[in-house]
Amino acid sequence: MMLSKNSGRGHRGLQESMYSVISLLFILVACVELCDAAAAIDVYRLIQYDMSGSAFGSRFAALNHHAASLHFPPGADLSRTVLIIPLRELNITFVRDYINQKKLLGGLLFLLPEIFNPGNGGNKQVHEREKLKNVLAELERLLIHANLPYPVYFAFENNEIDTVLADIKKNDATGQPATATTGGYKLVIPTPEPKKVASPTITNIQGWLSGLKADGDMNQLPTIAIVASYDTFGAAPALSMGSDSNGSGIVALLEIARLFSLLYSNPKTRGRYNLLFGLTSGGPYNYNGTQKWLRSFDQRLRESIDYAICLNSIGSWYNELWIHVSKPPDNAYIKQIFEGFLNVAEELDIKVGLKHKKINISNPRVAWEHEQFSRLRVTGATLSQIPVAPELLESTGGLFDSRQFVNETAITRGVKLVAESFARHIYGHQGKNVKIFADGGSLAVNPAYVQSWLDLLSRTPRVAPFLSKNDPFVMALKKELADHTDEVNLQHEILEGMFTFYDSTSATLNIYQVASVAFDLVLLLVLGSYLIVLFCFLVITTRGLDDLISLFRRPHSRKVKTA
Amino acid sequence: MTMFHFFNCAILTFGPHAVYYSATTLSEYDTFGTSVKAALVYLGTVLVKLVCLATFLQVSENDGFDPYQELLKVLIGFIDVAGLYFALTQLTHRNISQIHKFQAVGLGWAFADSVLHRLAPLWVGAKGLEFTWDYILQGLEANANLVLSISLAALGSLIWLRKNKPKTLIPVIYACAGIVATMPSITSYLRRGLGWHFPEVVGFELFTSLVMAFFSWQLFSACQRPSA
Repeated sequence: MMLSKNSGRGHRGLQESMYSVISLLFILVACVELCDAAAAIDVYRLIQYDMSGSAFGSRFAALNHHAASLHFPPGADLSRTVLIIPLRELNITFVRDYINQKKLLGGLLFLLPEIFNPGNGGNKQVHEREKLKNVLAELERLLIHANLPYPVYFAFENNEIDTVLADIKKNDATGQPATATTGGYKLVIPTPEPKKVASPTITNIQGWLSGLKADGDMNQLPTIAIVASYDTFGAAPALSMGSDSNGSGIVALLEIARLFSLLYSNPKTRGRYNLLFGLTSGGPYNYNGTQKWLRSFDQRLRESIDYAICLNSIGSWYNELWIHVSKPPDNAYIKQIFEGFLNVAEELDIKVGLKHKKINISNPRVAWEHEQFSRLRVTGATLSQIPVAPELLESTGGLFDSRQFVNETAITRGVKLVAESFARHIYGHQGKNVKIFADGGSLAVNPAYVQSWLDLLSRTPRVAPFLSKNDPFVMALKKELADHTDEVNLQHEILEGMFTFYDSTSATLNIYQVASVAFDLVLLLVLGSYLIVLFCFLVITTRGLDDLISLFRRPHSRKVKTA
Repeated sequence: MTMFHFFNCAILTFGPHAVYYSATTLSEYDTFGTSVKAALVYLGTVLVKLVCLATFLQVSENDGFDPYQELLKVLIGFIDVAGLYFALTQLTHRNISQIHKFQAVGLGWAFADSVLHRLAPLWVGAKGLEFTWDYILQGLEANANLVLSISLAALGSLIWLRKNKPKTLIPVIYACAGIVATMPSITSYLRRGLGWHFPEVVGFELFTSLVMAFFSWQLFSACQRPSA
């Protein structure tokens, strides 16, 4: 008896360990979850930011809803559906009404044509390009200033998503909205909730090219400053390349630095002016970075600046540029600068106009970069193709500002204009028809340099809160400027003030084709009936029909037996 | 919802085996042990086949139909037949009649085949959100396989276990057995050489399994008549 009890306990122990192993195996296997989506594409989220406490942009990131196209049946409840809208079929009034009426959506997915893809060229016809660009610009303006309590994403059209969208349109045309019971496509983006970007840094890069001090001259040499802001702001921070605003300005500044470094490398041709190159950040946010950069200057240095030229969007003009000033046009310094530019412009067949915009000290809005100089009593002007001062967060290099719309020749002509004007001022050749940077010479503007830097800038998103202190692009700009100047300094500041940003700018979208619950139920019914039919068939063929009937009569017969 | 789909495909793939066992007279004569032994023999056969395939077969770059490789696969497929022979003749069964023996062996064989080849893909794949028809087609294939295994076991028992067969039927029996044994090669030729899609292949398998089952049933009952 004892032996059997022990062996029984041993058996039970073995059984228990086996059960635990099997259950562990089940748990392990249950954790296996492979990705088997119909399509997985890269998507970029709409920017999320707070300005002076008000919330703007898309406030959510995670997505897990069914998809619908624009052909959804009218009156359908879309609060748990994602609308997929290709840019070509966009009706801006529809989106505007939806946002203004604060209707709830599961999410929005905008499909952008391939020409806006930074890695892509695109040879579309000019007319269609301009139309798409304008539509996209308007959409961006609408989305940036709206508060959307659902995720909004941008994606580029490709074959996979085009087939999915065509399928969704077909399903929608039958009149049934896609929900859990009717099947369709499910869009899933599994990202965590977006968090605030803590202490976003803005980095100003300055390069200093010393002039030639005459022997015995103890005075500080005068300085000419040339500045361009390098960061952007757009609807999708991961796609804000800003080729024109302000990629063109950066490229022009680098090329001017290169030309003057060639001139200044030879003591015989070194001018009696210092040259200060500034690549500032924080441009879209009222030129916050420029202000901090100027405030960090020594008083003597600030007083030694003769004038500062700020470059802003000089990449897509044809024959007219504007010089924007904040001091009145009859000011002596402004007259001198403007006439210098005008002389060179006439020779280069460029029309240059002067625009005056007064500064309102009490208004925190800074529309042009030179206004920060003027506020600290330094003469400044902005050279730009934009005729009117842009609003806050306008012309800051958004989605629509892509490489196609920038013209290298425009930048080259702009470089020639600025460089010649500087050279005439530095070497005292005002009014004389001397071409220092003539084509074909050793100091000619290098179009390959312009093009390669422009291509690089058109592939690099540069929204300041998402650029870290040691971002490789910032380091690349620093290195390039160091090649052309004597001394390069970086200044790191915190972007404070009215803006707060949130992270989570890009994600991967999984598209699953799902079957409806009704389908599964129908399948269960079909399979159940198939198994029952199979059972009956087998019973009949092997045991005979009587046995089948007796299966159902068994309780009855048992009652008869017991009775 | 996707566990629901997994459940549906699971009952399509494994349900018929259970139904077959309970519906026919197999359950009355308690032939469960025979089925289990047949399943274990199948496991051993598959391992031997794997080793042979790994040793003799080369991995081809393209997914086309290479006649020599396929011939080698057919030869290795005959290991299947050897395994079935072992299960039918060499194992010691309880004293059960021939009808039940081949049915139990065929059932165990088919069940082991389904579990080994179809359970893992089903568990991993059918649980996901994405819906495909593949797992339902796989279940139908499992059904066809069940019928084919039982027919092959029937023909095998006719060849090896029954001593007195009508002389005229012997070549027919061998021909049918040959066709059923080379079914895997035929389906792979259809898929790779002719480029048929999965639904068409499954349809072909279902059709041929029913046809072969009918033939083997006729042959079995024809061989049974003289001894009865």
